[in-house]
Amino acid sequence: MKRRTFIQTSSLMTLPVLLRGVEVTAIAKSSLASLVNPEDDRVLVLVQLNGGNDGLNTFIPLDQYDALVKARESILLPSSSVLKISDANGFHSALTGFEALYKNGQMSVVQSVGYPNQNRSHFRSTDIWTTASDAEQYISTGWLGRYFDLNYPGYPEGYPNEANPDPFAITLGFVVSETCQGQTSNYSFTVNSEEDIKTLNETVPGSTDGSCHSGELAYLRDVVRQTNAYSEQVLSAFDKGNNLVTYTEGNNLSQQLKIVANLISGGLKTKIYVVSQGGYDTHANQVVGGDAVNGEHSELLGVLGTAIQEFQNDLVALGVDNRVVGMTFSEFGRRIKANDSFGTDHGTAAPLFVFGSCVNAGIFGQNPQISDPIDPEEGVAMQYDFRSVYASLLMDWFRTPQSDIEKVLFKDFQRIPFLKDCAVSTATSELSKLGLVLSPNPASQHIVVQFDSNGGFTEIDVFDVRGYSIKSVSAQKFDKGQVKVSVGIDQLVPGMYFVRISQGGLFQPRNLSRYKLLVVKV
Amino acid sequence: MHRRSFFQHLLEPSPVEQKSVTLPPLNLEKYAGPWTQAHAAHLLRRTVFGARYEDIKAFYNQGMDVSLSILTNISPVTDLPINYDFESDPNVPIGTSWVNKRFDPVNNTNNYRFRSLNGWTMGRLMAREMNLREKMTLFWHNHFPIADINEARYNFKYIDTFRQNPLGNFKDYTRKMTIDPAMLRYLNGNQNTKNAPNENYARELLELFTIGKGPIVGPGDYTHYTEEDVLAIAKVLTGWTDVGYRSPNLDIVTSTFRPNQHDTGTKKLSHRFNNVTINNGGAEEYKTLIDIIFNKEEVSRFIARKLYRWFVYYAIDESIENAVIAPLAQIIRDNDYEIKPAVIALLSSAHFYSDFGCMIKNPLDFIATATSQNGIVVAGDMVQQYTTWNAFFQFGSLLQMRYYGLPSVAGWKAYYQEPLYYQTWINSVTLPLRKSYTDALATLNLNTRGIRLDIDVLNTIKGFSNPADIESLINDVALVLFPKPLTEDQLATLKELMIPGLPDYEWTVEYEAHLAAPTDLVLRRAVEGKLRLLYAYMMKMPEYQLS
Repeated sequence: MKRRTFIQTSSLMTLPVLLRGVEVTAIAKSSLASLVNPEDDRVLVLVQLNGGNDGLNTFIPLDQYDALVKARESILLPSSSVLKISDANGFHSALTGFEALYKNGQMSVVQSVGYPNQNRSHFRSTDIWTTASDAEQYISTGWLGRYFDLNYPGYPEGYPNEANPDPFAITLGFVVSETCQGQTSNYSFTVNSEEDIKTLNETVPGSTDGSCHSGELAYLRDVVRQTNAYSEQVLSAFDKGNNLVTYTEGNNLSQQLKIVANLISGGLKTKIYVVSQGGYDTHANQVVGGDAVNGEHSELLGVLGTAIQEFQNDLVALGVDNRVVGMTFSEFGRRIKANDSFGTDHGTAAPLFVFGSCVNAGIFGQNPQISDPIDPEEGVAMQYDFRSVYASLLMDWFRTPQSDIEKVLFKDFQRIPFLKDCAVSTATSELSKLGLVLSPNPASQHIVVQFDSNGGFTEIDVFDVRGYSIKSVSAQKFDKGQVKVSVGIDQLVPGMYFVRISQGGLFQPRNLSRYKLLVVKV
Repeated sequence: MHRRSFFQHLLEPSPVEQKSVTLPPLNLEKYAGPWTQAHAAHLLRRTVFGARYEDIKAFYNQGMDVSLSILTNISPVTDLPINYDFESDPNVPIGTSWVNKRFDPVNNTNNYRFRSLNGWTMGRLMAREMNLREKMTLFWHNHFPIADINEARYNFKYIDTFRQNPLGNFKDYTRKMTIDPAMLRYLNGNQNTKNAPNENYARELLELFTIGKGPIVGPGDYTHYTEEDVLAIAKVLTGWTDVGYRSPNLDIVTSTFRPNQHDTGTKKLSHRFNNVTINNGGAEEYKTLIDIIFNKEEVSRFIARKLYRWFVYYAIDESIENAVIAPLAQIIRDNDYEIKPAVIALLSSAHFYSDFGCMIKNPLDFIATATSQNGIVVAGDMVQQYTTWNAFFQFGSLLQMRYYGLPSVAGWKAYYQEPLYYQTWINSVTLPLRKSYTDALATLNLNTRGIRLDIDVLNTIKGFSNPADIESLINDVALVLFPKPLTEDQLATLKELMIPGLPDYEWTVEYEAHLAAPTDLVLRRAVEGKLRLLYAYMMKMPEYQLS
């Protein structure tokens, strides 16, 4: 925790004592929330891309271009159209908005985000992302719901109250976000448009007898009560706030983010906003045949880039940009190989974008390695667990204590330092180099994994091309210095595999993860 | 809940979800308790859209068995959506149906056909047919979803499969859907060829339509099937495509098998299907495949759970699984996947009647019920009817339930997404919209193109048991509108609304005065105004959202 934050927190904690019996309620109204959870008025905006975004055509690994041509020529953007930000990387030509943000130091790219044992069902994979579960684990609460559960026990009973008059989370649209599902209730309040914010009559309650009927009734009554209480707050923030840039008409995502900026500038204390854009399930006609620059995916990305750029510019103009960070997410990336319908099927990992004035602009992780020849089933291998992104946001953005992060995410995850100044991260700002070498390669019986250990707890795992973890080689502490580990592979069927190494103290940021391609032949 | 137990709960993932509230652990034994009006009303609420007081009376008098026989004896229909307003379709004069008429690209005949299809569909939902046709058609639509198939004839052909015979054979529906033109397009079956297999339909056939996905127990192994099976099944289904999409030459849409696009190799399924092999069977091969899948008992349990969540409640814990799902699945298997016996068993079970009002009405149920149960009939000429039905259809979309436009191939979230399930429908945007709808029906003089769309309150209460008695009146309204009787507090509040601070007989006096002089506008308005207030208030109560 930063010194300044600590002082702020501790001084607030003493105030009610000093003034006990005098003005406790006045203080409570403005700062009790901070006492419960020592964070400030920071906002996280989640941009959900429904359908599974094709990361390889979004953030293009130019050093893999030749292999990409072989795998997906029919849909691959011509290299001349790519918006290059380095020799090895560039954005899709429709993402001029992202290019500008990146060059302004307002965007970071986290490469190949996914999870072990990738599930290629939209619904299951969306559940995994929203609940932050393992692929094999079924959990009914969302990761942010659990974060709120820790800090606001008992919700929704007694909420809103003087200390927490505003909705904890707002979802734009007609349905609440599953990320905000708590143990007993969902923390997000839906807002579609200003005109749709309405109040409801409270009617005479019936009996509560513990039956499922009274359970559903209680839910309905909570919605009525909260709608009334929160509507007033949201409308008042609408009136106080404003927008200072023009948002594109007809761009649905822009219009959602316009409302978010308006509410933030109006002083609403809501911490989480969820906006969404659908249509990324591009099995067919992802590009126009013979014209890979245009097509459905290009249109989607154009909408996305424009919307986020407008939003960020507005936040800067409104002077609230240091309070807001946003991230995109999608349930999976797509197959590396194109299908025969000018599209791509469900795949594995994909890049994730974090934006805002507090981001540590840059690219985290290496470019995906595109093998040649390519297995038709192959997706982009995971490099970062998506929960590493969540853990980093919880720690560096919401200043959540380590012990709480483990409660929210069930275990500890590597931190990725994509936030700067505003962050209290203990993560180092530069990823170390491990000097990973695999030999022999190809191999048949065993391989030797050699790397330069920084010292600390180290995990070594073998993944198959679909992203399934098939062998855990090591989960132990290594000293500093060169390490060689022999891995038996005679049990594996012939094919391509990846080795992943992750090092760092168990409860320290693990600041490293690398993949190397391994071809096994028996 | 204590934090410790909260986290223990989270850390112990279980394949069967644990809910604090489930229905009482009664089983599938036939219900043998007293048959009351409340029981009849419960059965009607779960099976038809918008039962009225007289329907409840009739079902009460007939008893459970006769009622179920009425609900489940469903004959084919001949009613078709018609061209009600488009003058430029050379092949379809106004007043006739377009469902078997070619597409006309010059005049783009699709838009009017969708207006017609959507309106007609809503009209059927609101027609108050006293059987399971509409509820079951919607069930299958949710089970085998399609969306955004931009050719009206495809949508009609698809839904007609279910509407004609909504309590048919699950295996047979699966065969039909596997080669249905709309489904072939929706899940890319029409692009599934031997040189470029597309696994989209194969995957959903297993995961969402038949056997379901179990826990992952190994790489690509979902307990009930494996990734290997998805690939093999995609090959079995190669070669099929749809015919007639936006065709200016073909009147009939259909599907066809192209032998030269079919993978004629032998397909091998995984150990989950006993390593069975499927030899080349050409156009008949998919039937062999579906027989193999349906030989697995899990398919019967999978569809039994879907039926349970559609008709009873969403929470299925281990005791419900054993007491209800298992015997229901057994009935389905015993009848070789005929659905009707299972539906009858479920709707006449002790379990089904163990509690009322645990289901939040889905938007289409809410919309259709609020009109039909209160005597609103969309009358008028063809244009007036279709236009009005379309307005209701659009409102359904706004409340997040659009016919022919499911949000995903898993169907509507209310029927699969834990922990919210039915609660998915209700939030701070949709609940106020529902309120403005019932307010409009109860209190406004709603007029769409000359069609009166408000509740004719005076006419509605005429058939009640004793509308001149204030308590009897309010209880009868509650019988129609709410799943459970009013509490004393609620009854008192509602009386206060009607006759503030007055003795009960004041209502009797006013109401009888109106009956004695029905043309007296002053007397009529006094009574009507009070009744509108009552209906508006009761339809705003959360109880009204429940079925």
